Amino acid sequence: MLPDTPDSASRRFLYSAIFWLLVPGLFGLTLATFLYLPATQDLIPLAIKPLLSFGRLRPAHVNIAIFGWLSQAYAGAILFVMPRLTRARLYSERLAHVNLWLWNLMIAAAMITLPMGMTQGREYAEMIWPLDLLLVANFVLLGINIWGAVLRRAEQKIYVSVWNFMASIIIFVPVYAVGNKIWDPSGAFTGMTDNIVNYFYVHNLFNSWFTTAGVGLALYLLPKATDKPLYSHRLALWGLWSVWTGQHHQLNSPAPDWLEYLTVVFSILAAVPTIAFMVNFFATLRGSWHKAADDVGLRFLATGAIFWALTCVQGVAQSFRTFSMYVHFTNWVVGHSHLAFVADYSFWAFGLIYFIVPKVVGRPIYSKKLMEWHYWLTTGGMTVFMITLWIAGLIQAQNWLSNSIPFIATVRSLQPYFMIRFFGGLTAGIGILCFAYNIWQTARQPSPESAASPVLAASGD
Amino acid sequence: MKPSLIYLTFGSLISLLLGIIVTIIIPAAEPIGPSELARPYTEQELWGREIYKREGCHYCHTQQVRAPEANAVMIHKRGDIGPESAPGDYYYQSPVFWGTERQGPDLTHLASREGIGNNVAWHIQHFKTPRGISPGSLMPSFDYLSEAELQALTAYMLTLK
Ligand code: HEC
Repeated sequence: MLPDTPDSASRRFLYSAIFWLLVPGLFGLTLATFLYLPATQDLIPLAIKPLLSFGRLRPAHVNIAIFGWLSQAYAGAILFVMPRLTRARLYSERLAHVNLWLWNLMIAAAMITLPMGMTQGREYAEMIWPLDLLLVANFVLLGINIWGAVLRRAEQKIYVSVWNFMASIIIFVPVYAVGNKIWDPSGAFTGMTDNIVNYFYVHNLFNSWFTTAGVGLALYLLPKATDKPLYSHRLALWGLWSVWTGQHHQLNSPAPDWLEYLTVVFSILAAVPTIAFMVNFFATLRGSWHKAADDVGLRFLATGAIFWALTCVQGVAQSFRTFSMYVHFTNWVVGHSHLAFVADYSFWAFGLIYFIVPKVVGRPIYSKKLMEWHYWLTTGGMTVFMITLWIAGLIQAQNWLSNSIPFIATVRSLQPYFMIRFFGGLTAGIGILCFAYNIWQTARQPSPESAASPVLAASGD
Repeated sequence: MKPSLIYLTFGSLISLLLGIIVTIIIPAAEPIGPSELARPYTEQELWGREIYKREGCHYCHTQQVRAPEANAVMIHKRGDIGPESAPGDYYYQSPVFWGTERQGPDLTHLASREGIGNNVAWHIQHFKTPRGISPGSLMPSFDYLSEAELQALTAYMLTLK
């Protein structure tokens, strides 16, 4: 149950992340079906109808994606990276296994409770109180392993990725605790404050965990995959003021105007570390683009970085009150969140998994062809998915403000877009199945491709 | 510990703390009383809110009218989205259901809408067969709720003045 072999916890975290990726994928397709063909909701047998109700499946889709898939993929990758950057063993491999089991307990419980309608009813913070506590415990355990490894390191110089991981955990744990009102089982504040705290948390979930740790992971993988040193270590430090930008999720709302203006200023300032990261990333990559042609992992990393740049451009644009007035509440936002979540952070996670798994199982990825299928289906599918939703969002916005047709007519006019979105999502999902199958086969057996033309199994780090 | 590690720790925590003070505590300290629209909920209405939360209605419906659209945007007819939301409107609510997506119309002032506003029978029928009443609706059919649950949910709807 709790082996002590190096990288064993990292490997299991990555496998369990991939398993949990399939669940929100399936839920997402179900939700997309409901929007594309709403009458399918009436065909569900009464006994399971409540479990599949849109408003219950939506939080299950989101929570399992963020905490089951992506957070576990990050944890697995961090546990792989830490010993290499500190040149020491993990603080405790066994503790990491305890962490893994508790993490899966939490997600399995979320997978049961959310469709049952047990929720705190606040976006991204839906998990009930006991699971909130488990989540905090999980991040603290991960933090102990990160900080423990730093304090016992053999390598004196602390690489920029390690800084990012340490800062990420320190900020995210209190953010989660405050955002979820961890000291109160109801998990909710009262009145306007409730929404302010909710979006303080939502934004910082992305900012302090997915972005800060994700940038750390990307800046580890990039020099490895390109075989070149990082262009600049100074440019890599992530701007801490992004903590302040959460309120741009509710511009034009009843929240105080000064708060909205403040958050706009900080959101624009957040462009500075973003640009620094982009410069650093692409200057390191310069001259190595051909490697991305062969190496699907590097290609996912680079594609994710390009999509990340787009996320930040959209993010800054959306934090202007005028533009927010236009696109907020429309399907544009759904497109934006999938851009951030799938097309950048998850793409980075794919790249990391393709890089790490061969090292921890001691043989190359089972099938290069399937990697190509994964890349093209998922990138193509997501691109269609997102562009469709952005267009749909702009149409919705125009329809609402033009004031010429009743609401239900604006809903009906979206049907073709919901159809294309469904097929985009389906295509991306098939790519993800290729990915899961490929990793599963890699874990089980040597690749037939490598038997035909012996490639050296990757070793060490 | 290296001094740089201590800087990182305290730098992160101070930045976070300032963020919490400025963007949460100061706004929360503004004295906001209940607005004219706010009133305490009855037992049944509170139960209705619980059902609203459990069924995730807030993933498709917002409860906030922004200034530029107030009294202008059309749900059934021009301007019936209603007046701009004020902080005091949410005085008695926990959690609030401001929402982030409008797959369906904003519900802030639902009960003031002509024809359906106070129409209990309409609401119950609509919950059971949304597409029967409004062809092309995306809304799930809530025919799995009990009669008492539907009544409670409707009682809550009628508070959305
Ligand atoms: C999948 C998205 C979705 C969910 C979930 C959803 N709705 Fe709706 N709702 C809609 C759409 C679309 C309409 C507009 C068409 C119609 O009248 O059915 C609507 C209309 C309404 C209306 C009529 C508003 C008006 O002014 O005409 C009410 C009331 C309503 N919904 C309440 C609820 C409640 C309560 C819940 C949760 C129990 C809920 N909805 C869940 C999508 C949704």
